[in-house]
Amino acid sequence: MALLSLQNVSKSYKEGASTVQALKQATLEVEAGELVAIIGPSGSGKSTLLSIAGALLQMSEGTVEINGMNIVHLSAKQLASFRLKELGFILQTSNLVPYLNVLDQLLLVKKMGGKVTKDDKEFAKQLLTELGLSDKFKKMPNELSGGERQRVAIARAFMNNSKVILADEPTASLDSKRALEVVKLLAKEAKERNKAAIMVTHDERMLQFCDHVYRMEDGVLTQQS
Amino acid sequence: MFLALKELKYAKFRYVMMTTIIILIAWLVFILSGLGNGLATLSAATLKNIDAEYVVYEETAGATFAKSILSENLQDDLEKQKNVDKVAAFGASTIAVGKTKSKDADSKEDVALLGVEPDAFFMPEVIEGEKLSYDNKKGVVINDTLKEAGYKIGDILLVANSDMKLEVVGYVKGETYNHLPAIFTVLENWRDYQYAAPGSDNDTDKAVQAFFLKAPNLEDPSTIDKAVKDVETVTKKTAINGMPGYKEENGTIMMMLAFCIVISAFIIAVFFYVITMQKTQQFGVMKAIGASNGFIGKAIVAQVAILSVLGIVIGIVFTYLTAKILPEGMPFDLEPTLIITYAIVLLIIALLSSIVSVRQIVKIDPLTALGRVE
Repeated sequence: MALLSLQNVSKSYKEGASTVQALKQATLEVEAGELVAIIGPSGSGKSTLLSIAGALLQMSEGTVEINGMNIVHLSAKQLASFRLKELGFILQTSNLVPYLNVLDQLLLVKKMGGKVTKDDKEFAKQLLTELGLSDKFKKMPNELSGGERQRVAIARAFMNNSKVILADEPTASLDSKRALEVVKLLAKEAKERNKAAIMVTHDERMLQFCDHVYRMEDGVLTQQS
Repeated sequence: MFLALKELKYAKFRYVMMTTIIILIAWLVFILSGLGNGLATLSAATLKNIDAEYVVYEETAGATFAKSILSENLQDDLEKQKNVDKVAAFGASTIAVGKTKSKDADSKEDVALLGVEPDAFFMPEVIEGEKLSYDNKKGVVINDTLKEAGYKIGDILLVANSDMKLEVVGYVKGETYNHLPAIFTVLENWRDYQYAAPGSDNDTDKAVQAFFLKAPNLEDPSTIDKAVKDVETVTKKTAINGMPGYKEENGTIMMMLAFCIVISAFIIAVFFYVITMQKTQQFGVMKAIGASNGFIGKAIVAQVAILSVLGIVIGIVFTYLTAKILPEGMPFDLEPTLIITYAIVLLIIALLSSIVSVRQIVKIDPLTALGRVE
């Protein structure tokens, strides 16, 4: 069964008198261990799709099931705790908390849910080591390079051990060498840890690491490979 | 607490500035209340010092000393009343005294001449020299601030506009009345000054202005009014409020303090609000990851609490340091209970003001985390 499943999801915004159809009957399924890319031009509806899949935005029609749970009827408060438990976000660079060191960035996720145990700490260190950050535990975000920061963000997304990982333009501000490195790591972690990962990107060079590629154009989602 | 402390440590400059604002506000509030309290004390220190619960006036006097004339003979009647432990008569006049018959105003001091029985229960302790006694009717004990003006034990004081002479026999401490240093004398002597003009005492035998009652068990003062003719008994608080100008003066000071506190509430609220607004994106990211409003709200309230407590404590230290360098004559009086009260008020205001910021967090849409430059 797919860990993340969007069935006939539509989203329309009211913009003045007219209604804008941002997403038209999108259907998408991601299995465990897969990295799926969504590409498309600006304004095509990629971020709308990601926001809906990430339980940040309510759809107008359709159903979203994450790890077997339908999220359509959850309240804002329930959604927050749902995101904390079931979803890992990798956001654009600079979305780390500026006043926390690398290790604390990861532990923050655990703090949000309650207490930090010794095992959590070990897990965080293990994740960071896998991502090549073993000597950066105590560094602040502004002491890291763009690539390192994004690797911390990946580690943070895996920290709560959720089944679904959502990445929003994770390579947006990286040069191609670093970008490739980051996506490679993301694909590797998703596979090894059996997660369902979606990545929204502009960058066609990253597609070599993805199991499936979807293209979004004017709100219509089509599978490319 | 985790987020709050980490951020305070990281953005030191910003939060040092914020603490400085709170320090300044706390300092201002404490200095103002200290000066206000000092002024109020100056105006009625002697009355406040008196360990009595009630004051008995002439019925028609409206609870003011200057308008009241009673006979000292009432003392026995009052003492007989149930629940009344001690009774002592009192009279006050404002006079000017000098050591020479000079016409120069600078060589004279305005003082409050207070007539009492030497053995009155409220007679303040003489810190130096001798006590009042009927053996020396002209003897006075003076407030020690008059020392600075050059008055010593043994000096003869000439009372202006009168041929009366007084002899300094001792000092008392912290006794002021109507903002003037108090000098105590025996009632008989006071009467000679106050009712010097024939008939000015309305032919009252042994006239005094009022009686102080030590009566901690007396619940209803009107029972005294019923039992003793032509008197009105009020609480000491009412008596102090009846001092000329006392209520108005206190009203002004309280008004200033109230404004100061209301304005500081706004300042603190606005500063924290602005700081919170700057972090909208950051909070958006945290909410996207799954932070609840409570988690972020707690961090903000904790921050406000830490900064406020720190600011207020430093403000208190500054206040006492300031009080030390204030000139001697400046009335400044701040009791610990008052400090604690205002400190708690300020803390509560700061915490309440953080609610404005917390409300703002609830409104932040986690979607802002996905805000992109496309």
